[in-house]
Amino acid sequence: MPHALSYMLEYLIFFVFATIAVVFALMVVLHRNPVIGALSLVVAFFALAVMYVLLEAPFLAALQVIVYAGAIMVLFLFVIMLLNLQHRTEEATRPVQQFLGFTTSAAFLISLVYYIGKYAVFGKLPDGRFASDARTIGIRLFEAYVFPFEMVSILLLAAIVGALLLSSRGAATRAEIPTEVSE
Amino acid sequence: MIPTHWFLILSAILFSIGVCVVLTRRNGITIFMSIELMVNAVNLTFLAYARQFHQLHGLIFVFFVMAIAAAEAAVGLAIFISLFHHRETIDVDEANLMHW
Repeated sequence: MPHALSYMLEYLIFFVFATIAVVFALMVVLHRNPVIGALSLVVAFFALAVMYVLLEAPFLAALQVIVYAGAIMVLFLFVIMLLNLQHRTEEATRPVQQFLGFTTSAAFLISLVYYIGKYAVFGKLPDGRFASDARTIGIRLFEAYVFPFEMVSILLLAAIVGALLLSSRGAATRAEIPTEVSE
Repeated sequence: MIPTHWFLILSAILFSIGVCVVLTRRNGITIFMSIELMVNAVNLTFLAYARQFHQLHGLIFVFFVMAIAAAEAAVGLAIFISLFHHRETIDVDEANLMHW
């Protein structure tokens, strides 16, 4: 039966890539080198792109790979290399703070899963194909959402200017800002 | 079709991992990466609900979240570069004075 086979295959893909996403996200917690953390986060983002395909959003899966795994994480890696942090691993200190952090996030996870199980288990998915290809999203984006879309372009321009201003070591900014506060 | 709550549970796990990193680590860039992980977990929730209710609004919201995350990453990393120029470290415990 081809239907049962594709059903099984979908679950198999989901569990394999969910495991990959969780394991490589945990690498960020467990590994103390920021380069290893950034590279494992790239793998986790690729696994999340597979999740987006399973959720019938192939356009956003492509955007996830291009924008997140491609642009944002490469920016992170560039900054880590630029600041020469790749050999600097932070040592484990403050056991009380670490313990409280782990227990708080574990309690948060347990409560989230409890409330998902209690309130967010829906019945059947609606019938029919979910029209979520690039064409449908584009038409919607340039009809109903054209004003937020233009606002995002202004926001990105402001981010470019802000990033250049903050990261420049020009004479104009250095002269005005005292580097050390007098003790 | 995989039911929606599996995706919600995966998103909850990824979000909690991000919360754990923010609470336990002191390296500023690692904290910033885990914020990106939390943003991605929320995006997964948006897409799961978008498919559950056949609404395009969730997908378009994810599109905007990605654009804003890109802007946030650029400005945040520029702030860390600036901090490193002034303090020679990106340990967030060292950046505790708002003197400029």
